[in-house]
Amino acid sequence: MSRHNSTSRKLKLIAFLGWTGHHAGSWRHPSSNPNAGLDIDHHIAEAQEAERALFDAVFIADGDGWKSGTKLEPFTQLSAVAVHTSHIGLINTVGTVYNDPYSLARYFASLDLISGGRAGWNVVTGAHSAAEQFTRGGHPSHADRYEAANEFVEVVKQLWASWDEGAFVADKQRGILIDPARVNEINFRGRHYQVRGPLDLPPSPQGHTVIVQAGSSEPGKELAARTAELVFTAQQTLPAAQEFYRDLKGRLARYGRSRDDLFITPGFAPLIGETEAEARDLEHELNSYVDTRRALDLLSERFTVNLNDYPIDGPVPLDKAKSADDFDNVKSRQDVVLDPARREGFTIRQLLYRANGGHGHVTHTGTPLQIADFIDKWFNSNAVDGFVIEPPLLPQQFRLFVDKVIPELQNRGLFRTAYEGTTLRRNLGLRGTLPLAKAA
Amino acid sequence: MMDIDWQIAEAKRAEAALLDALFVAEFYTGKNSALDTFSQLAAIAAETSHIGLINTIATVYNEPYHIARFIASLDHLSKGRAGWNFVTGAGSAAHQFSRDGHPSHADRYAQGDEAVDIIKRLWDSWEDGAILPVPERNLYVNQDRIHQINHTGQFYSVRGPLNLARPPQGHPVILQSGSSETGKEMAAKHGEAVYTAQQTLAAAKEFYIDLKGRLPKYGRSREDLLILPGLAPLVADTEKEALELEHELNRYVDTRKALNALSERFEVNLNDYDLDDPVPIDRAISEDTIDGIRSRHEAVLNPARRGTVTIRQLLYRSNAGHGHISLAGTPLQIADFIEEWFTSDACDGFNLLPQVAPGSTHGFFDKVIPELQNRGLFRTAYEGTTLRESFGLKRPQNRNSPRGAGSVGAAAAASSDSATSRYANANL
Repeated sequence: MSRHNSTSRKLKLIAFLGWTGHHAGSWRHPSSNPNAGLDIDHHIAEAQEAERALFDAVFIADGDGWKSGTKLEPFTQLSAVAVHTSHIGLINTVGTVYNDPYSLARYFASLDLISGGRAGWNVVTGAHSAAEQFTRGGHPSHADRYEAANEFVEVVKQLWASWDEGAFVADKQRGILIDPARVNEINFRGRHYQVRGPLDLPPSPQGHTVIVQAGSSEPGKELAARTAELVFTAQQTLPAAQEFYRDLKGRLARYGRSRDDLFITPGFAPLIGETEAEARDLEHELNSYVDTRRALDLLSERFTVNLNDYPIDGPVPLDKAKSADDFDNVKSRQDVVLDPARREGFTIRQLLYRANGGHGHVTHTGTPLQIADFIDKWFNSNAVDGFVIEPPLLPQQFRLFVDKVIPELQNRGLFRTAYEGTTLRRNLGLRGTLPLAKAA
Repeated sequence: MMDIDWQIAEAKRAEAALLDALFVAEFYTGKNSALDTFSQLAAIAAETSHIGLINTIATVYNEPYHIARFIASLDHLSKGRAGWNFVTGAGSAAHQFSRDGHPSHADRYAQGDEAVDIIKRLWDSWEDGAILPVPERNLYVNQDRIHQINHTGQFYSVRGPLNLARPPQGHPVILQSGSSETGKEMAAKHGEAVYTAQQTLAAAKEFYIDLKGRLPKYGRSREDLLILPGLAPLVADTEKEALELEHELNRYVDTRKALNALSERFEVNLNDYDLDDPVPIDRAISEDTIDGIRSRHEAVLNPARRGTVTIRQLLYRSNAGHGHISLAGTPLQIADFIEEWFTSDACDGFNLLPQVAPGSTHGFFDKVIPELQNRGLFRTAYEGTTLRESFGLKRPQNRNSPRGAGSVGAAAAASSDSATSRYANANL
């Protein structure tokens, strides 16, 4: 594998943690603690471990799901984590449809100040099922969601920029706390939002919160090219990842941005054993904890038939698969889940196990060296700038990654040996605040 | 205000002084500069263990589902120390939220009433013990103990359940701050503690009797609601020092700007008068025509009505307590004041507003609290670890659980010796 000197390009690594792990069967494994989701001490300890391993950031997903009632609200969780850490980034997922740009700009500006410039916002539009919690007639269409999201992000960025540098004066002699001449209304009047501003908070040490984007549909890619600085995506194969990388980086010039203004980090669920056999055994054990019938019911949402009616060790009935266009919600995931089955001729069981382990993200089972090889290869093939690491089992699998894979990546010169700075923007190697399309 | 380390240090001092809770307010106007209160309190929660964390959230500009979730999360994170100070919201915030205008006083309260009801039902949507988990049987949660609320009302439709398990306190403690007629009814119906501005002992007693008297209407008893007027003490070793400090602080305020703010309440420009003229009380507009914060208007004007108060005196009083009682004196004088109010059926405690932080809170913690403890008026140790235990409030029954069932992890109703413990809050 390739050797790099210390000045070469480095991996961006984000830790997507939780409490039992990303594998659907992880919570039944004897080593995991299914009660830890509501325990802030657990989340603080996990983030501290990620910080010791020099990860760029920890990441929290949000939304509905079978475990949703058993986890903390992410802003409160990350604020508590912020005061127990000093370098690691804190990335939160918040949907635009059921939130308000002014409140959201405040939440992030506040987390950013509390953490000394370490906040990141993963922009999603929002899940379908939420409409019924928010007094709405229905969920907006995919196209409408993205149009409104573009405007939403614009409002938020203008609010973040509504305080000029040095606006917070705190001059006791002259009796001036805030210089009103340096705090500007934004007077935004769009199709979806009308916001006067200014925000009631000054910028953080990193200027403004890092913008992350996670949709990989066509409008998702455009939103990313225009606004995102970090992109989370699901890519199952190296050619697909290379194609996505080429496509998205190619769109940046259109918005006056360079290739280094946006980094691409797909999700990756490595299953690690000291030996290959150990890793396979653990994979087998985790799969044994998943209720096959229920899991196949879930997977059947992607088909026009119920997979439980087919032999589990027979081929996937690909001719019965729905097309991506049938999905108004998380469009891009359909192809990601089915492409490997199409290409490699999966049985239903193989498809199921793949879905258990990475819920659409690429998985790899092996020794620390094999995992490092996998990362090295993708990183040096114009396919990724790094990964969002999704440990299948916590805390055990994350510890193995930290203790065995990270040092190997460092030995190969692929990953930092010390933080570059104390802000997320600095550690990711991103430039300062993006130029804003100022409203007249 | 934006330095979280400073705020954490202050919170730890308040906890060392055994205060019931910290209280934070929220403005949204862009004229102030303060951290978002949830992130602020979550950060403080991670560094403290006993002190309550009370957040002010307006219902007009926040979805009930979001409010329920944020506060429930803060309650889980702090292991049962969250409180929600219910307000409807300030008119000046409309411009930040894609709204044409601010709803009327009556509409705000009707909407707020519906929001509080939804929020309480969302907190009950997971019964205690809904999270099992039983790995052997592949059961993570008990679906029979998770309920939709299926609310369809005048202002909101919310299906539920909340995406968060029932908070450790059952319901985080609900505070109410409006003291208008509608505000008092809301407090009697939903409030478990009331933060109010009362300028005189007589007014405080009347408010106390009035509000406690409204509780039976809602099937509640006098112990179910605590009344905590705001108090801005300025403590010094001698009375002379205290008055000098008060004078110094007033010098720092831009008189013209402060008079402009006061003038808004009068709808008459006080800058046209001499500072030592009496307050033109006959020119002040009456409460009925106010659509903003009605009760605060009265609290500011009443001292002027009571006697001949000059504009300067009203201004200084307003600088210090912005409508609440301000009091400069020695530790003994402050303790005497507190004791008199507390033993006269005028209040159950106070919400402290430090005039200078940290100086004035530290004087209060170091000198006044020990005096109150010596007199048997204040706790000498926390009763438990939840805000309900500190306040001596019952943990609410879950409407979805059979009576007597489902008290897993419940904070037992505190049967504390009510003779010795009463409550004070600090406002950071």
